[in-house]
Amino acid sequence: MIHINIYLSKKPEFCINNINQSLQRMASLFISPENQLQRLNILLNDLERLQAMPIAVLTSPPRPKAWSIIEIIAHLNTSYGLYVEKVDRALEQSPDKETENEPFKARTWQRFVINGQRPQGNIRKWKMKTLKKFEPLLDLKNMGPSEVNTVFQIFIGYYGHLRNAILAGRKKDLSKVKVNSAIGPIVNFYLPECFEFLICHTERHWVQIAETEQRVREPFIA
Amino acid sequence: MDETDFQRLLGFFSRVQIDPEQVSQFRKLWTVRTFERSELITEAGQTERYFYFVLEGVQAIYILNQRGEKVVLGFSYSGSPSGVFDSFIAQQPSSTFLEALKPSRLLAIRLPDYESLFELFPDFYAWGYHFFKDILFGRLFREVELLTLSAEERYITFMRRCPDELKVIPQKYLASYLNMKPETFSRLRASARY
Repeated sequence: MIHINIYLSKKPEFCINNINQSLQRMASLFISPENQLQRLNILLNDLERLQAMPIAVLTSPPRPKAWSIIEIIAHLNTSYGLYVEKVDRALEQSPDKETENEPFKARTWQRFVINGQRPQGNIRKWKMKTLKKFEPLLDLKNMGPSEVNTVFQIFIGYYGHLRNAILAGRKKDLSKVKVNSAIGPIVNFYLPECFEFLICHTERHWVQIAETEQRVREPFIA
Repeated sequence: MDETDFQRLLGFFSRVQIDPEQVSQFRKLWTVRTFERSELITEAGQTERYFYFVLEGVQAIYILNQRGEKVVLGFSYSGSPSGVFDSFIAQQPSSTFLEALKPSRLLAIRLPDYESLFELFPDFYAWGYHFFKDILFGRLFREVELLTLSAEERYITFMRRCPDELKVIPQKYLASYLNMKPETFSRLRASARY
């Protein structure tokens, strides 16, 4: 408990979403790899802060049936894991390009889907029930430092993959190959749309992490 | 780093007196880093790890505007320093990108080694004074140009002072640096004399 109190003495840091707001706004109009990299870097910088949190904070759900912070990270891992092969295959099939890509404009239906994920500042609109296959399966009561670290390491691996894919996409013509989304062919993406969807989905859950962190802290502060 | 590269580096620090017995120590602090065309040297959101001296190539430093377009703040080129200085000195995430516009070869020094230069070689304080003074004056001069000159005047002033290797980079970067549309830049290139 003592280490939690030391942690709680720090000022809450929810500013990440404010920093991201104007970057998100610009991405809602035009998708560019540089904008995506910048937002991804902001999230990854914040990950170190999460990794430093006490296990009690990471594994405590804010209320019954709600996800703890580590479950949110595990959910992001599960979701991204479904895209790894699709992204690799699409990149492989995309022709190389010598000239620089212009910012990409998402198609109407895809823009609607992406914007459904995109948080507006610290607000998550369009809350929805998570499909079974995206639910995190963690045994919270038996999670120690090693198990928590494993979840973070998977996240770092997957989001390193996303980073490399965005960078690789800068030298490819990404307007030729589409991938089906993880929910099936009802939504398909060109890779810039796919990357945007994945980043918006992560930003959305980062807002949830901030909310969870605040609620989990409250009992300790009081 | 070969001897020619090292001599160019010493030339850049010509204000600094380095004793012969300290030369190898100074040399060891620098490493060569190479980048392909359009490779990002530093990304916004990352913290700049190096101060660079450019051996070859042209690099642009830019920020993204509300439309996701690159707004070019400056260039570095052969013989000039490079890097995202504010992020490097403050060790805070950068808000700008540094991109190689042409294949680039840079000499790089990390922050602890950069800081050690001031302790190892007292002349570096004088170098630092002149270096940051030049940067400040350069930025002030550019601000005045942007706020007071017409597009044509900005184009002519820039073309008169810019090195040849900068004139062959994609026009959209030069146009952005001069705060004009690529079409305007193209028209001025065809009509303005300098």
